[in-house]
Amino acid sequence: MEPIIVTRDLKKVYRLGKVDVQALRGVDCIVQEGELVAVVGPSGCGKSTLLHILGGLTGPTSGHVLVDGNDFSKMTDADRTRFRRHTIGFVFQRFNLLPTLTARDNVAIAQHIQGDGFNPHRFQAVVEMLGIQNKLDHRPYALSGGEQQRVAIARAVVCEPKILLADEPTGNLDTENSQAVLSMLRDLNRGFGQTILMITHNPEAAAVADRIIHMRDGHIISD
Amino acid sequence: MVNKLIVSNILHRPIRTAVSALAVAIEVAMVMLFVGLANGMLHDSARRVEGVGADIMVQPPGASFFLAFSQAPMPIKIGDRLKDIPHVLAVAPTLVLFNSVKGLDMIWGIDMPTFNRVSEGFVYHDGGPFLNSYDILVDDWYAKARHLRIGQTISLLNHDFRVSGIVEHGKGARLFISLNTAEDLLQVQEKASIFFVKCTDPGYADDVSEAIRQLLPKYQVLPVKEYMSMMTSNNLPGFNAFFTVIIAIAVGIGFMVIFLSMYTTITERTREIGILKSLGASKGYIIAVILREAGLLSVVGILVGYGLAALARKAILGAYPTLSIELTVEWALYAALLALAGSMLGASYPALRAAQLDPVDALAYE
Repeated sequence: MEPIIVTRDLKKVYRLGKVDVQALRGVDCIVQEGELVAVVGPSGCGKSTLLHILGGLTGPTSGHVLVDGNDFSKMTDADRTRFRRHTIGFVFQRFNLLPTLTARDNVAIAQHIQGDGFNPHRFQAVVEMLGIQNKLDHRPYALSGGEQQRVAIARAVVCEPKILLADEPTGNLDTENSQAVLSMLRDLNRGFGQTILMITHNPEAAAVADRIIHMRDGHIISD
Repeated sequence: MVNKLIVSNILHRPIRTAVSALAVAIEVAMVMLFVGLANGMLHDSARRVEGVGADIMVQPPGASFFLAFSQAPMPIKIGDRLKDIPHVLAVAPTLVLFNSVKGLDMIWGIDMPTFNRVSEGFVYHDGGPFLNSYDILVDDWYAKARHLRIGQTISLLNHDFRVSGIVEHGKGARLFISLNTAEDLLQVQEKASIFFVKCTDPGYADDVSEAIRQLLPKYQVLPVKEYMSMMTSNNLPGFNAFFTVIIAIAVGIGFMVIFLSMYTTITERTREIGILKSLGASKGYIIAVILREAGLLSVVGILVGYGLAALARKAILGAYPTLSIELTVEWALYAALLALAGSMLGASYPALRAAQLDPVDALAYE
């Protein structure tokens, strides 16, 4: 079976003022469909940059990125946006819910942006799986961190993306909520075969993964 | 869903929403009121000339058909020659004067018997015709605006005039003095600014006009029907330029407020735009959200503007009853289109800027 993510000699250079910052210095990695992979490493090692490139939020400076058979290095920004809409789901450390919308609308807007319209069956299945049925009419400010992250996960998976990219999903949560969120990610992976790439500082979070990739200074140092 | 997002954004920032909508409302009300006032005064002036009851107006060579600009006098004896033309029933010589002290008033000096023959006489609400040289007739709107009663004196043209009668509005000017007094004040003798000619039947107006042109080839001969059709902003010097300036100022206000409002909104919501982009929202989607939000603000502003214009009209006419403000559906629609166009233009740059935000930078925005 073809791997769902393949990167070869992936490099990313940021320009900060007059200084070039090499965030990725040649990353080679392969992720198979249905894997739950944790990427760990110190701050500034390039793991977030890797996640952003794999999610199509930014392009690589050089090298190849194949996600679900699509070569990002040959795609325009608009192509990557279209691809992201249908293939990628994001979960962020800071939840990143739209503050003016209710939990229900925060989840539903993902379906709207995808363009296939509101799918009530999928919506219901996801909110039940994440246990947020009673929180749907609340706005983010009225939800706890754990509840917000569950809504964010619901939003990320409601469109059935092939890949779920999670950027420090437990970084803003207490131990109990961290465990709950990790449990949900694991259930999604085990129960539905959801491919998940998770960035984390937390060893307990990394421990739920099938594989742990260690990064340092823009390189993968162990896999 | 986009509508929900837009409405929730608008409700989430009530002060910004109120200020933006109010700016659009002022823009709409300003256009409607200024244009309504200009057209209202123009049409009111035209209706009052029509209300004199004449069929033809004769003015000196080079005179403006807009009576407010016509003071060039012509020999009153011309009136005798006009009377001799077949089918002419009556000729009323009128001398137009202006008072610019404590306001701007047009005063007609009239020969009461001939003016009455042309106009079939004034309808008196109170008092009666001139008894003395410095008596004056005022119409009911003017009397109401100045709280005038019979016997009171008003100061015009550096003279005190006694109000001898309050007449029904709609017969030319709002103020009438005797022709002789008007001549004294202008220091002219046997002169008139305009002749109102009444035919034995309105159907003879064209024939009589042609006869007058033959008789007085250099004079301006204007059937009243033609005059009415000419009393539009297009035929008046400077009116369209005035409209253009007012519209430009109004649209400029709306444009700038919406621009600033949406620009600050984009900055405030940078992170939210990043979220939408992470969900796969295209540039077009982001632009549509911003433009639709500006559009909704404009629609609210336009509706408030209509109400504001109606209230302002009522207040202005209450304070100045002699004014006329015409709020028309045509200009209401035009003002709405201008406001929408200004808003869309104002929101365009912020929308494009939002669409071009880098999603990674936007998500990292604090």
